[in-house]
Amino acid sequence: MTISAKLDDLTIMVAGQGGDGSLTVMNVLSELFGRRGYHLYKSRNVASRIKGGIAAAQMRASVISRGCTGDQIDLVVAFDQEAVTNVGADLSPDAVVVFDSSDKPLDRRNLADSVRVIEIPFGRYAVRDLRRDLFKNSMSFGVISQLMNIDQDEAEDCLRHTLHRLPERVLLPNIDSFADGRKFALADKIASGGYPWHLERVTRAKHLMINGNDAIAFGFMAAGGRFFCGYPITPATEILEWLQKHLPAMGGVAMQAEDELAAINIALGAAMTGVRTMTATSSPGFSLMAEGISHSGSAEIPLVITNSQRAGPSTGMPTKPEQSDIAMMIHCGNGEFPRVVLAPGDPGDCFKIGAAATNLAQRIQGPVIIAVDQAVAQDARSVTPFDLEAVEPHDGARMSEDALQAMATYRRYELNPSGVSPWAVPGTKGGMSLVTGNERNEWGLVTTVPAKRREMMEKRAAKIDHVRADLPKGIRGGDRAARVGIIGCGMQSGVIAEASERLNARGTPVQYLQVRTLWPVLDETAEFIRSCDHVYVVEHNGEGQLAHLLDGHGAFGNLRSLTKNDGVPFRCADLVRHIATFEANTMHGDAA
Amino acid sequence: MTITFTPSHPIWCAGCGHFGVKNAIVNALAAIDQPAHDTMVLAGIGCSGTIQNNIDSYGYHALHGRVLPTALGVKLANPDLMVIAAGGDGDGYAIGAGHLVHAFKRNPSVVYVLMNNGIYGLTKGQRSPTAEQIDPTTERSIDGISLGLSIPGSSFLARAYSGAADQLNAVMVAALQHAAAGRGFAFVEVMSPCVTYNDTYADWSGRVTDVTAMEGYDPTSRIAAFSTVHTLAEQGRIPTGLIYQSDAPSYESAWKKEGFNVPARIDVSRSIHQNSYSSIMEKYAF
Repeated sequence: MTISAKLDDLTIMVAGQGGDGSLTVMNVLSELFGRRGYHLYKSRNVASRIKGGIAAAQMRASVISRGCTGDQIDLVVAFDQEAVTNVGADLSPDAVVVFDSSDKPLDRRNLADSVRVIEIPFGRYAVRDLRRDLFKNSMSFGVISQLMNIDQDEAEDCLRHTLHRLPERVLLPNIDSFADGRKFALADKIASGGYPWHLERVTRAKHLMINGNDAIAFGFMAAGGRFFCGYPITPATEILEWLQKHLPAMGGVAMQAEDELAAINIALGAAMTGVRTMTATSSPGFSLMAEGISHSGSAEIPLVITNSQRAGPSTGMPTKPEQSDIAMMIHCGNGEFPRVVLAPGDPGDCFKIGAAATNLAQRIQGPVIIAVDQAVAQDARSVTPFDLEAVEPHDGARMSEDALQAMATYRRYELNPSGVSPWAVPGTKGGMSLVTGNERNEWGLVTTVPAKRREMMEKRAAKIDHVRADLPKGIRGGDRAARVGIIGCGMQSGVIAEASERLNARGTPVQYLQVRTLWPVLDETAEFIRSCDHVYVVEHNGEGQLAHLLDGHGAFGNLRSLTKNDGVPFRCADLVRHIATFEANTMHGDAA
Repeated sequence: MTITFTPSHPIWCAGCGHFGVKNAIVNALAAIDQPAHDTMVLAGIGCSGTIQNNIDSYGYHALHGRVLPTALGVKLANPDLMVIAAGGDGDGYAIGAGHLVHAFKRNPSVVYVLMNNGIYGLTKGQRSPTAEQIDPTTERSIDGISLGLSIPGSSFLARAYSGAADQLNAVMVAALQHAAAGRGFAFVEVMSPCVTYNDTYADWSGRVTDVTAMEGYDPTSRIAAFSTVHTLAEQGRIPTGLIYQSDAPSYESAWKKEGFNVPARIDVSRSIHQNSYSSIMEKYAF
């Protein structure tokens, strides 16, 4: 066993049927690895149902912070055969499988001979000794903690911390079950192979463990967001829940509407009063909101719309990630109006962009869309603490009553070079005005006079230039002199950064750009593309929507689309192999 | 004094029932001394959806069918405003019917004036969900009052007729008072004939029946209201007046319990809230 060599970067999966308690085991393991100073990247693989179906929690624990899961799984804790069968091909050659053999022994036909299997009938023991099947998860943690050479006190403390909300009468049997697990591990065959793993203790500054949805909600609130309205939908619901938990205490409102049409229109109504407002949904819900987004653009009402994308089309795969709404987010809604589409790449970025979007919406008095995917939205990862002091709410062109009184004439849709008109919200004395999605004159009265129409279209379009310099810049990395580029956003951010690191290490020079503003396409994106001979555009959809977008902005036929739409994130190793092979062929072709 | 927009003249045909509705709203605002700057009139799409242009207040032109959610958003974000939503029978009973159900259920202190003419006037005469009044052989109509009566949260259900100005004015004042007192959702259906595509003045004038004038009518009894409304309908009459009023709690009163602080006016400067933000962040420490 040479496993100890890779304990600086370990991927673990706990899997079973939904309701088995797999997630609890993973939570104890995160506590343990967290205390040892590791960085974590956690994802869940669940079916869209409350109980049953395969439920797997996956965690990468690494000494270096990573933005995606590992290539292969090193440790599997499985409560049934299906879980092992499903994961077989993804195991590393020297993986360890801890299997609950209560029903029958493990059928290891699809496992490599080098994979080590530890079989213990957790469920049976738990029922026999503690009268409840559910205690089997604490028992499995007992076994793993032994496997990793963690002493009993440290392991028990992690378990107690994770289960601290349970009443004593439920906690104690869990502790007993955990202790049993350690005894079984001692008595069982693990003893013959010794305990192969020794976890490091590393020093890491304080981090946060948070998912993207929560971080977006937090960023919105920190930038002064005090009104939220949404409708439950996977994988965006955490935003509604987070804000329902925190906004009332800040005097704000987070409410659940009867549908997405109501959600975005309630949000528009609230936003008109001046309160910073957001709605959030996922792909099919976003389709329903399209008319409201167009209205926000036309009527000039500041609004943040978060789309936590899931696999489409239609109702698609609710719990799987995809980036197949890129074209929709950039073009949806009838007619043409200014909008900003931002794409954060990890929870730290979600906080920053949640805050930036909230301010940008005020400044353009229009729609700002936050584009994430299920992976960014729901995967939790360790990130550096948020810089709260960097966030200050921005009022845009909102006017106080005094500022209004100082004006000779107030027109809600006043024409000016910035395109952003001064704005008095309802309740401001003397500021009575009309807001409409129809084409209108400066007073807000409907018009179809061609000259006025042209002026109003130009006024609205100008607003993007007004904020262009402050739109979130991308993150560049890799070999800045490389002629080969990689572009990705959202869930690709961690994968392309790590792939770039590996490609450069193995002699294929590449540089990468994680795009954070999808619309408008920034000059820096066009410059990056022009600076490379060719650029791989990595995205989760079948049509290459990001590549198509960039084709019209700086590309000169030098984009190579790398797409995937099976609901499973790119593995770094696959991306590296793909690009390396492509590059080798390209060089070969050039030589010929 | 800053110059701002001047209410425009209505675009409606001469004789349109909507003139009476507009006048009733303007009169009721004056009757309760409602300041213009603390008033917002939101309207849907259709002929009725231009009424906000004709009233001295903040005005908003909603998406088709969405005037109620928008009005709810305004009210919840700034409960100090008098919020009046207006729209037609197409806007409220067809494309926006789902929201009407939830408005009754939630009971926000918003006035909703639904101008019912049985027709889509602006698109030149298509049938609406209340088209039965034109053609009894068509699908049966939606009755907003019965709908409201069937939902326990409803708190103010009234119907008026734009051909009877005194009653319309009285009902409108009562509706604005109901909302101003924070008592909940004030639903006023106004039978408002379309003189061009569905001139029902003669028909309706003979059928409207003011329940308020009926001996012993008790508008606080949901059962009596239901019975009366359906008895009159079976007789071919159109019940009008304040049909039902209750003390069901308003939607915004539920929010006020939870530290609610008029979202539109919260000072969101970082310095004020940074400690709260820090303590939330601390919960994620790892």
